[in-house]
Amino acid sequence: METIMFKEIKKHFATDDVEVKRSDLYKVGIKYSRLFELVHMLRDQYDYKILNAITCTDWIEEGHFALTYILTTLDRKHTFMIQTMVNRENTQIKTFSHEFKQAQIMERDLHEMYGINFIGNENLKELSLENWVHTPPLRREFDTLKFVNNNLTFREGRDDNVDTKAETKRLRALKKAAKEAAKKEADKKAKEKAEAQKPKDEELKDGK
Amino acid sequence: MENKHITIFHGPQHPGITGNMSIELDLIGETIQKATTHVGYLHRGFEKLIERRTVIQAFTIVCRICVPEPDPNEANFAMAVEELAGLEVTLRAQYIRVMVLELSRLAAQFLWMAGQSGSIGLYAVGQWAIADRDLILDLFEELTGARVYHMYIYPGGVRRDLPEGFLERVSTLLEYMKKRLKDYDDIFINNASFKSRAIGVGIISKEEAIANGYVGQVLRGCGIKADVRKDAPYLVYDELEFEVPTETAGDVYARALVRRAEMDQSIHILEQVVTKMPEGEVMIKMPTHRKFKLPKDDTWVKVESARGEFAYYMAGDGSEKIRRMQVRGPSLVHAYTLLEDLLVGAELSDVALIMNSLGICPPEIER
Repeated sequence: METIMFKEIKKHFATDDVEVKRSDLYKVGIKYSRLFELVHMLRDQYDYKILNAITCTDWIEEGHFALTYILTTLDRKHTFMIQTMVNRENTQIKTFSHEFKQAQIMERDLHEMYGINFIGNENLKELSLENWVHTPPLRREFDTLKFVNNNLTFREGRDDNVDTKAETKRLRALKKAAKEAAKKEADKKAKEKAEAQKPKDEELKDGK
Repeated sequence: MENKHITIFHGPQHPGITGNMSIELDLIGETIQKATTHVGYLHRGFEKLIERRTVIQAFTIVCRICVPEPDPNEANFAMAVEELAGLEVTLRAQYIRVMVLELSRLAAQFLWMAGQSGSIGLYAVGQWAIADRDLILDLFEELTGARVYHMYIYPGGVRRDLPEGFLERVSTLLEYMKKRLKDYDDIFINNASFKSRAIGVGIISKEEAIANGYVGQVLRGCGIKADVRKDAPYLVYDELEFEVPTETAGDVYARALVRRAEMDQSIHILEQVVTKMPEGEVMIKMPTHRKFKLPKDDTWVKVESARGEFAYYMAGDGSEKIRRMQVRGPSLVHAYTLLEDLLVGAELSDVALIMNSLGICPPEIER
């Protein structure tokens, strides 16, 4: 069955990018223009009727997003990853929400995190972020540390507010000073003991 | 007097809500006209944080994605890393992982029992269940050093071997659980109060459950024998005997019966694991974590959590850091696609009841 399916995919979609990742997991790379056709073929001819997830990976160096549609057969024994590369700037993708109801929320999630516009999806409102006006956070150019330093302030009196490098330096200096003081104290005591011992030794020497 | 149309928020601060999320309810009288799910109260940005971390650094935060049942996250993370890096763990480590996952499933079902019973005011059940869950957490504490976030299932195996006499203590606990669960049948599952509230409420059709990608007890409560442990076995589940319980009514009570039967199955699996536990190493030799690179490749791994199929997508880029890790738990689709539909026409007093039966956990929605 799998061999026939792979042959069919290779033949119809002119791609050699078909891979068996595990005995239950296959992957195919496809041009975006043929994505819907392939999903329909897998769904109608090979029983891949369940859409499990839509994932996105930002390949900023290569200038594209890798969108992966993950489909499972009705008996849940096999999974197909269909991957397509789309331009990461002003990304416009046709929605799958009219065919798979769950795609609606998955696309809404990706819209918020990557700024991808899913054309035809009726609800792309904010999901977990509130009044977000910055770069969509899962895009690689979004720098978390820079964002925190520029937009958030630390509350007074919290440990978080401490410059850890300076604090470590200060604590080390304190520890060193305490160690030196302890050593000085020990030396002083030893000296005093030796002083106290001296007359006794001299007395013994004199045979008194 | 004419019923007035009102809008109220159920949560995020509400004892009947399963975590920090809220549902905006449009009501006429007590009947829900429209339900809108809102999340965002717990967004900690796990997926973003992981992009900047090495494998071992990422490992420390994945368990935090789900509080009631963190171990499926650890297992998925470890399995995805191992698959990308081409690592194979020892048989003993696989058995130990199954043991941890099943204990974790049992603990999560007790926590569900506390939530589900609390949603209809049967508070005694909740107190029992939390106390019994604590007995499992005691074992976790002994094994991993932590009660909730174990950080134990590490890529390459498990972090440490079993302490001396641990399997005997697991067996003792299982014997206790077998007797104890009968009490729960009396006080909760067969309780007339629970039956009268749960039967015929929150009904999901088989066709809808399949088409919309629902998982876990939602599917099994509609009579569909779906379980990743059977459908696409991982670890050593194919060497263990167990049943996938199903019910056909598709309502809250059917899902409760499925969960209760699954607790028996978990005990049955654990008994086999205790008997069959092989000798050997629990950890393979791993590269130094700073030099541990994942190849430019991707994968999709999944396990069966206490609430249904739990999957991870992971991509490496040839560096020490994980390029992308996307979590697909049951909650995203259950809290939006399913819950928003299911609540329309339901009574206000049934919101917590229905919600608890779907196994929704907000941290995995807003990863």
